[in-house]
Amino acid sequence: MAEVKLVNLKKVYPNTEKKKKAKKGEEEKKINLQITDEGVVAVQEFNLDIKDQEFIVLVGPSGCGKSTTLRMIAGLEEISSGELYIGDKLMNDVEPKDRDIAMVFQNYALYPHMTVYENMAFSLKLKKTPKDIIDQKVREAAEILDITQYLDRKPKALSGGQRQRVAIGRAIVRAPQVMLMDEPLSNLDAKLRNEMRAEIIKLRQRINTTFVYVTHDQTEAMTLGDRIVIMKDGFIQQIGTPQEVFDHPANLFVAGFIGTPQMNFFDAKLVKKDGKYAVEAGGITVELSEDKQARLAANNVEAQDITLGVRPDHIVLCENGIRGRVDVSELMGSSVHLHISAEGKDIIVIVPTNGAAASFPMGSEVNLTFGGNVAHVFDKDGKNLEW
Amino acid sequence: MKINKKWYIVFVVPILIPFIFTVILPFFQGIEFSFVKWNGLAKAEKVFVGLQNFKDVLHDDRFMTSLGRTSLFTLITVVLVNVIALAFATWVTSEIKFKNTGRAMLFMPYLIGGLILGYVWKYVLGQGMTLLAANTGNESLFFNWLSDPQYAFIAMIVVATWQMAGYMMVIYIAGLEAISGDVLEAAKMDGANGWKEFIHIKLPLLMPSITICLFLTLSNCFKIYDVNVSLTGGGPANSTEMISLNIYNEIFVQSNFGLGQAKAIVFFLIVAVITFLQVRLTSKKEVEI
Repeated sequence: MAEVKLVNLKKVYPNTEKKKKAKKGEEEKKINLQITDEGVVAVQEFNLDIKDQEFIVLVGPSGCGKSTTLRMIAGLEEISSGELYIGDKLMNDVEPKDRDIAMVFQNYALYPHMTVYENMAFSLKLKKTPKDIIDQKVREAAEILDITQYLDRKPKALSGGQRQRVAIGRAIVRAPQVMLMDEPLSNLDAKLRNEMRAEIIKLRQRINTTFVYVTHDQTEAMTLGDRIVIMKDGFIQQIGTPQEVFDHPANLFVAGFIGTPQMNFFDAKLVKKDGKYAVEAGGITVELSEDKQARLAANNVEAQDITLGVRPDHIVLCENGIRGRVDVSELMGSSVHLHISAEGKDIIVIVPTNGAAASFPMGSEVNLTFGGNVAHVFDKDGKNLEW
Repeated sequence: MKINKKWYIVFVVPILIPFIFTVILPFFQGIEFSFVKWNGLAKAEKVFVGLQNFKDVLHDDRFMTSLGRTSLFTLITVVLVNVIALAFATWVTSEIKFKNTGRAMLFMPYLIGGLILGYVWKYVLGQGMTLLAANTGNESLFFNWLSDPQYAFIAMIVVATWQMAGYMMVIYIAGLEAISGDVLEAAKMDGANGWKEFIHIKLPLLMPSITICLFLTLSNCFKIYDVNVSLTGGGPANSTEMISLNIYNEIFVQSNFGLGQAKAIVFFLIVAVITFLQVRLTSKKEVEI
């Protein structure tokens, strides 16, 4: 259990790395990495205070620097500049083994020549912990993770889910101050991933430690994290609780990244009528809710061209609204996902079926509208004007 | 299925035929020779002597001494080659500069070939040492190693190690690079650094490479011939004559084809049994990753 403080953390891979990466493909590099004269900047200006026993999730697309940040906390990656504190201790130059942290890897990283028991006991054995205490701790952890019956097996004889449990078990026997998890569920199939996600939530209640969890899956981020850190191109885009980042995304990237299906965007106008803010899009005008009015007024926001964001489940079909044409209709069971061409964009609308079979044939005309409380207004640079 | 069988034949037959004529038939012919007394001349009569040649082998002091010497040579060289090869492999797979140059330089002796290597070292340890003695005046260290039975034996070990270590290094490099980086990082997080990581993680995961390297070094050391011929020629006074050279001398110098062939059969059985036991033993410790 400990607080973790990251102060202005930066990671630069010197130019030799840049040359190697350049060979892999220009596209990827341009999209995800910051190329500078000193090299490829993977992470920069990373400031975060993680509270004791907090569950922090770092989330973002591939190459955003989330795993690099985690590896810097672990000590597997050197910190180019900035400071890392675990507890009150500066950890920049401390060996991984002396940081009192444990890490769970995406592909389990179990020792293939050791049994499950030996895998879990390994770190304690190296610390020369008495055998009876090792035995007690391993069996306790195995009990928590329901893997007691596999203790004598080698990792090869286990399924993916069981292996990941062992990997988590190996981490928790050490009772670390900080538990790091690097996309631990990515190698599992969808069903198992859901099960393991629930297991991690339960595990979190049972072991009192600070968690830093990396994922590219926003559902995992939303369901697991006390707070989410959304990253892109090495920069933090937003830090907040799942509800905060969902309700008040700081910019277009966060708005598009969090939530499935992703938020719809329209080219629109922010107008001010009688001192009230409203948005004009596709021939309709929607007055914004009171709280949004207040935030925009506080920021002295002027009338301007904006990008309007509305989540798929906040758009409703109506008689008179933004006109669109149904391209694809996907029946999801309790709802229908409609892909609609409107205002030159592909708009997704979730229509609840409420038990009745809904019919939206391809090519049918529909009208869309939304409430003033669910409209997100971004300036042309992508910044949320309410912020 | 039929097509597969045809292709199987197309690929196997071209290599099977030469293999039968150059390996299988000579092997059985060799067994036949080991039961006769023959001087190798085509016109000379092959006299069947039963197991006499094998009895003679057991009473051949020079052969038995040579067998003991070869065993000692193998024991020392196998350990040296594998320890050095593994050390080199660990070194050139770590984060050092010029590691590719290092790999190339260490692998080079294998490419040179035993015969040439033997002659090069013969010059270094013979004339080279004598020259150094003349120039430095230090005759206790610099003298013709090959004229001293003990030092000539050491020279054999040095040169064979020099030759084989590079090749084994390449096998160990492949083994080390096959170990998952995540597993090593997990070990690092668990507190295994340096030596502990090597003993607890790398070494057990290297068992497939160890099996191959031990097999190759064991059989190569027992069978060593080229370095023996070129470096010491078995001398001084047969003091470095290994089994292969002893068999060669018996057959082609003494013209005792029958006795020589009996020695070869005994030698084959010894090498086969030892390497079989070694492979059985070490492959049991291998793990599938």
